Amino acid sequence: MTNQKINSGGLSASFRDPSGFLFSRGGVLYRQVNHAYAGEYARLMDSGLYERLVKAGLLIPHIEADQVWAESEACFKIIQPERVPFISYPYEWSFGQLKDAALATLSIQRRSLKAGMSLKDASAYNIQFVRGKATLIDTLSFETYKEGQPWVAYRQFCQHFLAPLALMALKDVRLNQLLRVYIDGVPLDLASELLPWKTRWNFGLLTHIHLHAGAQKKYSGEAVKSRGGSMSRQAMVGLIESLESTIQKLDWTPRGTEWGNYYDITNYSDAAFEHKKELVGEWTKRLHPVLVWDLGANNGVFSRVAGETGAHVVSFDIDPAAVEQNYRQMKSDKIENILPLLLDLTNPSPAIGWANRERDSFGARGPADMVLALAVIHHLAISNNVPLPQLAGFFAETGKWHVIEFVPKSDSQVKKLLTSREDIFPDYTRDGFESAFKEKFNINSARDVRDSDRVLYLLERKQ
Amino acid sequence: MHFLPHAYLDPGSGSFLIQLAIAALLGLGVASRAYWSKIKGWFGIKSKPRDGDDESENK
Repeated sequence: MTNQKINSGGLSASFRDPSGFLFSRGGVLYRQVNHAYAGEYARLMDSGLYERLVKAGLLIPHIEADQVWAESEACFKIIQPERVPFISYPYEWSFGQLKDAALATLSIQRRSLKAGMSLKDASAYNIQFVRGKATLIDTLSFETYKEGQPWVAYRQFCQHFLAPLALMALKDVRLNQLLRVYIDGVPLDLASELLPWKTRWNFGLLTHIHLHAGAQKKYSGEAVKSRGGSMSRQAMVGLIESLESTIQKLDWTPRGTEWGNYYDITNYSDAAFEHKKELVGEWTKRLHPVLVWDLGANNGVFSRVAGETGAHVVSFDIDPAAVEQNYRQMKSDKIENILPLLLDLTNPSPAIGWANRERDSFGARGPADMVLALAVIHHLAISNNVPLPQLAGFFAETGKWHVIEFVPKSDSQVKKLLTSREDIFPDYTRDGFESAFKEKFNINSARDVRDSDRVLYLLERKQ
Repeated sequence: MHFLPHAYLDPGSGSFLIQLAIAALLGLGVASRAYWSKIKGWFGIKSKPRDGDDESENK
């Protein structure tokens, strides 16, 4: 939300819903509630549902703001939701994060029904991680529940949550990347085709995915006539419970992975590791960043060190197992200011959606106050062949302060990268690194990491 | 679609119909559970509260 451009009154991700839209004024985010939504809004607030959901950590809290900025006659009220420190997207979440987002959505639907309301959408993009919890950020997602009425968001829920979760748990965890292509969730016929045949023996997956996909195909293009068929409250509760138990049973636990046990197989000593933690701690305490990006965070050890200052840390890694492990650890330790996310630095999240403006790219969600890039440079420079000056340019765009670890060719990790290929990197030296980065940064500090050939730099971007 | 004249999301015809069919079946389960707990209630046995009830917190 922070950097989305305003187009014709609203932020680019919130143009679909006629109930209202998001806009930003003087760096503050507001949501306009239209007259058309006045009744639903009143019910949400007066029924006690809002308070119960906020208390349970399921809905973003807001305050009602002064109406002076009202942009159109449609305006009923302006609300100011609590700001989310970092907006993330479902294709950046680990299995556990998507599962928690799905269960939060169903929990909200269940509580809403009790208050005579129902979710009118079930988009994964309406969920964000706030204080470590999956939280609904769209206050205008509720509508009055009329008994007999089916759940209008059922299709969307299955596409945004159930299908990718089933594919991740039962086929391959990397299939969450389908969400990057299909912005309205994984098409159910595709999910049905990709899932193993035996999933037809699972009642939940048989009905909500396989038969659902079949029905979509059979009735595509046909209007639903008012031929009887209505859905009792009990049937609605049964549907929500069935989705809940189907999702509860889906599980994915990281096994043999790229980095899963990285810290057990590193070449450097405990002393070097501790020294790096010390330096990261010293520098974050000195600079007090608000937003830190830890790029190549693995399971988040250094993110935690940076997070001890109270900074909001986004802990990115390319490995789904590391991100999952990181998320589970944060959850069990009740750490609220660290957000683990999946990111391939060599191909970061692009801007997607209508006019490429619905979901921001990785870069557009910055810059961060401080970027940590520990044991990352050699992967980008050597495995991915990015010349050092280009790396310096990339980092300069992502943040002001940088903690970058230079891993020289004499280091066994780099030697390993070079065993299977020709060394075409004559400039990959400490001097080469410094001269490339000096174009964009001032070197504030350069410290030899104890018991290793590595160097940890603190760099400040030139204005 | 007579149910939701003002819905802004397209629920999809097939999704709508399959939902009615599945939910009718699942609703029976919910109803029978309710009767069962009522019967148990006559004998003084209390049913366990379920996850996601209003009192529980988002984990």
